[in-house]
Amino acid sequence: MPSSDPSSGWVMNIQNFSVNDGDGIRTTIFLAGCAMRCPWCANPEGGSLRNPMTKLMSVDEVVSQVLRQLPFLRVSGGGVTFSGGEPTFQTGFLRALAGPLYDAGVGLAIETCGTFSYLDVADVLAKMDQIFMDFKHPDPAAHLRWTGRPLDLVLENLRHVRESGADYVVRIPVIAGVNADSETITRMLDILADACPSAKLEFLPYHKLGFAKYEALGKPTPAGFETPADADLAEYQKMAVQRGLEPISYR
Amino acid sequence: MLTERVEAIRRNYVEAKPCISYQRALIWTQSHQRTEGQPIAIRRAQAFYDCCDLLPVNIFEGELIVGAIGEFRKCGILTPEYSWLWVDREMDHFDTRPQDPYVMTAEQRAFVREHIFPYWKGQSLEEAFLARVPAETAKIVVDTGIVDNDSKWRQAVGEVTPDYQDVLFAKGFGGVAAEARAKLAALGDTDADSLDKADFYRSVILAAEGIVRFANRYADEAEKLAAAEADPVRREELRAIAQNCRNVPANPPKTFHEALQFVWFTQLGGILSENPLALNPGRFDQYMAPYYEADIQAGRLNEAQAQELVDCLWLKLSEWVWTISANTADYFAGYNQFQNLTVGGKTREGLDATNAVTYLALKATEETRTHQPGLSVRVHQDCPPEFLGAVTELVSKGTGFPAIHNDAVGYQMLLNAGYEPQDAKDWNNCGCVVPHFRKTGEWTAAVNVNFGSALEYALNEGRSLLTGELMGLPERAASNFATFDEVKEAFFRQFANLCRHSITATLVAQKLHQELVPRPFLSATIEECLASGRDLSQGGAKYNVGPVITGIGLAVVANSLAAIRKLVFDDRTTTLAELCAALRADWDGFEELRQSALVAPKYGNDDDYVDTLAIEIANWYYREIHQYRDVFGNPFNTAFMGISNYIPMGRVLGATPCGRRGGDPSSEGVSPYVGSDCSTPLAAMRSAAKVNQEIHSGGTLLNLRLNHELVATKRGQANLGAMIQTFFALGAFHVQFNTISSQVLRQAQAHPEQYRDLLVRVAGYSTQFVNLSRSMQDAIIARTEHAEF
Ligand code: SF4
Repeated sequence: MPSSDPSSGWVMNIQNFSVNDGDGIRTTIFLAGCAMRCPWCANPEGGSLRNPMTKLMSVDEVVSQVLRQLPFLRVSGGGVTFSGGEPTFQTGFLRALAGPLYDAGVGLAIETCGTFSYLDVADVLAKMDQIFMDFKHPDPAAHLRWTGRPLDLVLENLRHVRESGADYVVRIPVIAGVNADSETITRMLDILADACPSAKLEFLPYHKLGFAKYEALGKPTPAGFETPADADLAEYQKMAVQRGLEPISYR
Repeated sequence: MLTERVEAIRRNYVEAKPCISYQRALIWTQSHQRTEGQPIAIRRAQAFYDCCDLLPVNIFEGELIVGAIGEFRKCGILTPEYSWLWVDREMDHFDTRPQDPYVMTAEQRAFVREHIFPYWKGQSLEEAFLARVPAETAKIVVDTGIVDNDSKWRQAVGEVTPDYQDVLFAKGFGGVAAEARAKLAALGDTDADSLDKADFYRSVILAAEGIVRFANRYADEAEKLAAAEADPVRREELRAIAQNCRNVPANPPKTFHEALQFVWFTQLGGILSENPLALNPGRFDQYMAPYYEADIQAGRLNEAQAQELVDCLWLKLSEWVWTISANTADYFAGYNQFQNLTVGGKTREGLDATNAVTYLALKATEETRTHQPGLSVRVHQDCPPEFLGAVTELVSKGTGFPAIHNDAVGYQMLLNAGYEPQDAKDWNNCGCVVPHFRKTGEWTAAVNVNFGSALEYALNEGRSLLTGELMGLPERAASNFATFDEVKEAFFRQFANLCRHSITATLVAQKLHQELVPRPFLSATIEECLASGRDLSQGGAKYNVGPVITGIGLAVVANSLAAIRKLVFDDRTTTLAELCAALRADWDGFEELRQSALVAPKYGNDDDYVDTLAIEIANWYYREIHQYRDVFGNPFNTAFMGISNYIPMGRVLGATPCGRRGGDPSSEGVSPYVGSDCSTPLAAMRSAAKVNQEIHSGGTLLNLRLNHELVATKRGQANLGAMIQTFFALGAFHVQFNTISSQVLRQAQAHPEQYRDLLVRVAGYSTQFVNLSRSMQDAIIARTEHAEF
């Protein structure tokens, strides 16, 4: 369950000096907890609040650690990115962190899987300069089977975000064995072209860099998922452009 | 893209092993045999003239900028008047030594032993220094690695920035000679001062006429070669070379090409006269831009031609090799002569100074990838984005260049040293990271002091851990220190003693330089020397700045004191007696204690527990050194720079409380101890910026490693630019980046303890490479190889 006391929460990691991951030099706060259960997940320690790789931190601790980086964040035009896990999972903690950082003039961004109650987080999302939102599979049944959560909610939240006027980027994790075939990608792009015409879109190729964490947690490493071929990714980019979407990359 | 010509010269530069020429030493020696009894300034000037008159003249294939110091293209020379003992001792192993080998044949060695060295027996600067330095100081400073100033008694000083703006390009050496002649004519001959000045002016006339003679011999040679040249294109080039050498350096240059040739002749004059370290071309883009613009406007030159000419100068600067002892090579590794060339920054009027030549210089370093010149940039907060972009792009190429400096702090450092504001704004770098100015006489790298030794003596009753010898002041056993403050006091007591010996050794060397090795040629390039009639070594320059004493091991000592405070006095997990026993055992049998020492707070992680100690040590050091006066009455200066001096200085140091093992390298500049800044480069920058860098007028240095991938894209480079500007906004002076290749990643896999700071981008974030699993490391190595150029 999400923590009820918002003055502290479960943190997986605070990564200073994140680059190529949004604007400027960023500090990424990885918040634990996630409603989905994707078997390919690169951050398995985010699947629960409390585990050997997370720690309980107070809002003050997190905020003061971030503010030490403030000069670098300011000059580079960077800021803080909330990630996870699913950062909205500990909604109260997220809100408690976003407030003082926003007030200190820190640029904020969030990476979300799209599974949240929009009404509960609308005020927090309003503080974000940029929202990165995952879209994992076009088929409702397959989506539910892979992630454990319904596609509807994701698409509904995507609509909310679009309508709110926020600057947002849709992210497709491209995973051979799940969605990395041109038929599936075509369906996804068609849905996006319809739901959020000319949206910014980032393809994130699957990688196995999270395996070490499975080992650390004593869990079996994911099997059956592969990194898509570069040529396929290039093809998907082209297909996106054809549909009026705007593929981007923070490289 | 390099032109074919430049590529061919470059290939030779990369592949050729440097050869030693004794021609200069032979002429110098024979000249001295003829001038015995003359004033030393005249003897040295005459010897210089004779070199210019007699050295073989060599124009190598394809060259556009000409002039050589010997018969070999990649060449080093000997200066027995400074020191020959070490050459005699070491030259039989020149070609096999690990650091900076040279080629010297058996015949050459036999020749110098028979015809050159015998004359200098008992006459060299080295021998004079060893004869005069007090025994108590000699014990600490002669080849010990504790206090090291051997480059000031085995070598010339160098450390000069010839004044192109107000002297050389304004008057030419012909004009300098004329001025000296006029001054000489106006002198009286019945007072001692005038007699000294007369000697000085005569020496300047000889030096100036010498370099003009040298250039004219090159003009003759070029004309001869042109006459015999079958290829019409090369024939024209040779004719242009002849024309250039006929005009410069006798007269002010008329074209960009001539101006470049002038710069090289000035370097040649400096090299032949004393084989100097850090003979700096200075603010190249400032004094070259008018010639570039005039040529472009007149249609005499296009950008590509200008680039090729600049490339040719870069190769010339790199083909000269500094001849140094194995010991000195440990301190200044990589055939490095430290000819520092500075671009960017602000003008004397405070406006942005970048121009077209700024970019030619950056590009030349990017494309030729030569180790010379030492390219420095001055970055100010409002510098053009394209300049910062070009700087960070060059960083991304992995050459280690440029050295990036904070314009405002360089200015502040010179103000502190007593410069007028406009002159302070006009600073350039000297050697590596010393802010400097062309009208200056200063020993910018007078001494290196091993901070770690002071701590070692404090904890070991004044004795060296490795030899057991009493090297410091006698001290009570460390187990008797009841408080952390007592430990610190003992450290500062020992430290003060090392500072004192540094000063004594420098004063002895300064006096000897005045007596034995005046510098007519380089004095001729400095305005105030000409006006005052005094040699550089006599304090003739407009600014005489006190010698710079460089501190080595700031991080090691701060970390060690922090470990003592933490483990002994705060946590009480060990005692000083046990800790010192561990140090004596080089940690053998104390592995657990060593682990807790290693995890104690470390400088470079933005942790005030230890950073405040670094600040305290640095401030104390400044106050201590600054109270002493040099031969001209100027306060000594401090610096935290480093070449490779932290390696030999680590070698003589036993284990330290920070967890370092005996003999391992110490730390350089204001950089964290290698591998111990395990947060982010931003934290390392925050720590380094706390050290009141602007009070250390001798310069401060921070080296950081950066994964190549982080700067592979324009966006990555923009972030790097922001990082640099932030670091500078925090008050820091210098930063330089080594970008990391897959090869380095492999080394990090093999020796993780030395690479704990190495940051790699994993997936949307960056983390310590050594903390990743083996399989993940392999994945990243594969990816880095993929991204490499
Ligand atoms: S939504 Fe993201 S964090 Fe949550 S399980 Fe899926 S991949 Fe992992």
